[in-house]
Amino acid sequence: MTETEKMRDERGSNAAAEDIKAGGEQTEPGSLNRPSGYTGKRNRIFMLMSLPAIVWYLCFCYLPMFGILFAFKHFTPKPGEFLLKNLFINSPWAGLDNFSFLLRSSDMSGIIWNTLFYNFFFIILGIAIPVFIAIFLTEIHSVKFKGFIQMVMVLPYFLSWVIVGYLVYAFLATNEGQVNHLMRIFVMEGIQWYQSPGYWRVILIITELWKSTGYAMIIYLCAVTAIDRSLYEGAVLDGATFLQRVRYITLPHLRPTICTVFILRIGTILNSDFGLFYQVPLDSGSLQSVTQTLDVYVYKALMQQANFSFSAATSFLQSIVGFVLLMVTNRIIKAIDSESSLF
Amino acid sequence: MKEMNPNNPGKTKAEEYIIPQKSAYSGTVNLLMSMFFLLIALLIFLPILLVIIISFSSEESVTELGYSFFPKSFSLDAYRYLFNSGEYLFRAFLNSVFITLSGTLTGLLVMCPIAYAVSRKEFSFRRPMLLFLMIPMMFSGGLVSSYMVNTQIFHLKNTYLALILPGLCSTWYIMILRNYFHISIPDSLIEAAELDGCDPFQTFRLVVLPISKPVIMTVSVFQSFSYWSSWYPALLYLDSNHTELYPLQYVLVNMDMSIERLSRDAQYMSGAITYVPPAVTVRMVMVVIVILPIMILLPFFHRFLKNGMTIGAIKG
Repeated sequence: MTETEKMRDERGSNAAAEDIKAGGEQTEPGSLNRPSGYTGKRNRIFMLMSLPAIVWYLCFCYLPMFGILFAFKHFTPKPGEFLLKNLFINSPWAGLDNFSFLLRSSDMSGIIWNTLFYNFFFIILGIAIPVFIAIFLTEIHSVKFKGFIQMVMVLPYFLSWVIVGYLVYAFLATNEGQVNHLMRIFVMEGIQWYQSPGYWRVILIITELWKSTGYAMIIYLCAVTAIDRSLYEGAVLDGATFLQRVRYITLPHLRPTICTVFILRIGTILNSDFGLFYQVPLDSGSLQSVTQTLDVYVYKALMQQANFSFSAATSFLQSIVGFVLLMVTNRIIKAIDSESSLF
Repeated sequence: MKEMNPNNPGKTKAEEYIIPQKSAYSGTVNLLMSMFFLLIALLIFLPILLVIIISFSSEESVTELGYSFFPKSFSLDAYRYLFNSGEYLFRAFLNSVFITLSGTLTGLLVMCPIAYAVSRKEFSFRRPMLLFLMIPMMFSGGLVSSYMVNTQIFHLKNTYLALILPGLCSTWYIMILRNYFHISIPDSLIEAAELDGCDPFQTFRLVVLPISKPVIMTVSVFQSFSYWSSWYPALLYLDSNHTELYPLQYVLVNMDMSIERLSRDAQYMSGAITYVPPAVTVRMVMVVIVILPIMILLPFFHRFLKNGMTIGAIKG
């Protein structure tokens, strides 16, 4: 940096300080009074700092966005030619054919039903249980004990579905599994869990809650601890019972957080955790009727059937339905309570 | 008052404040609730405990009693077996460590600077840049197109890069970093640095980064745990004839194949005597090897974790 530049910088910063003193409501303080070269230089440095991330986002987020076209094309690649040329030029338009085929296919209704079924329970229980636990956990006196409980509860969140699959396997394996072992002690026949679809709706819901409750709980716990304690003290002095305090102080304060989580979850109502539905049931064929969800279908259509168009059409449906539902839910919640909406 | 714990001087003022000064509960209710939570914690920990016990059980005990909390006899056979099983598993472990470290480090190097840039009001393109970061949260091309782009344009199939690059950045982490830079670092500090002649990058490197350790820790905990647990990219981008690239998680996905491979290696090393591996317990030993680092690190990182979520919750 040359001497003159340094001086210019100094002058620029002084100008900024003066701006602030003057209390000007400018969006970019200082930019007006600075020598024009300075803002430019600073912006260039900021741009340079952003550059690696920009490149990454362009390559791995924005470039794949053209892939929406897969859903509207009959993808017929010519070997040896560039992907974009194959997609844009070599493949004929399909209009909405892919979607109508997809929705008419016989498994699709079951797959969508499964996705909605699980998400319904995940949303309801995934909000109710963590809120319940957070409210009670705040009431524990010992700070250390609270921290310990939180730590144990959040541990499953960091385990991959592969690991969770093995944990479930340790309980449900036909020969060695803990559950069958216990059942045999009580002179019952063991169950071939991985062949009996009837139980898996419950098993999968329990597994998901086991993994996600602790983490969700911490979010609400942060919100509960942020509530002004004097409200509670006042309530206690006025003779409010515990339930009354929860009903009239805690829950109203938690409403914005709960609504935010709810809106975001509605936005992903057609999405499902691939690992939970593919890895935890160990991709068992006889369980497919209850474990097949849209994300499993997206994966299988791509990797096992090489059916690019159907897979892409499914992804497109998921995001567009999710987006619309998110907007609608947000609007409804805004109408009821404008403070709690997402935007 | 007995809620005030005199043995706990390490508490911050805020934590002390959380303790209800005029609690409506007697000690008994508190004790009952503590028991209730202890029970919940135990229930949550139970599956992990089971797997740890199985990994130390002897093979005979497992064939007789199954996966039991109370095995007949303990043995370290499975551990011994794995540690002598040659390169395959050790390689997988190193792969996981390499992916975790390089992914976390590169990710931070890419995310921190842009997070700082979008946290500064004097950056003229701050708003467009934020929008640029937000759009991918809402829209994505879907699995097909990212798979096609990664394999056909970037040729990532069967490379380490396939396991690292797709998860490198996340708008969520950038927002956590940005909120911290935006809220917790006083403007006056940055102005002072600029008065001393720092350009934005120097300010960032010399002033902002050194005092942002908590948030950087938070993001690196999230990032490294997620790399350590990642298996989906391996499932998508690695072929079965590139086992030398497999991370631990993916070895577990392919367990049956892996056991076969392990016994082949063991036969080769022990000189052609057919040796049946303790297959049942070996699986669980590998699960323990994957869980253990997380369990050991979590107590240290727990406070950073909460940090990040509190910061993330204040939407800027």
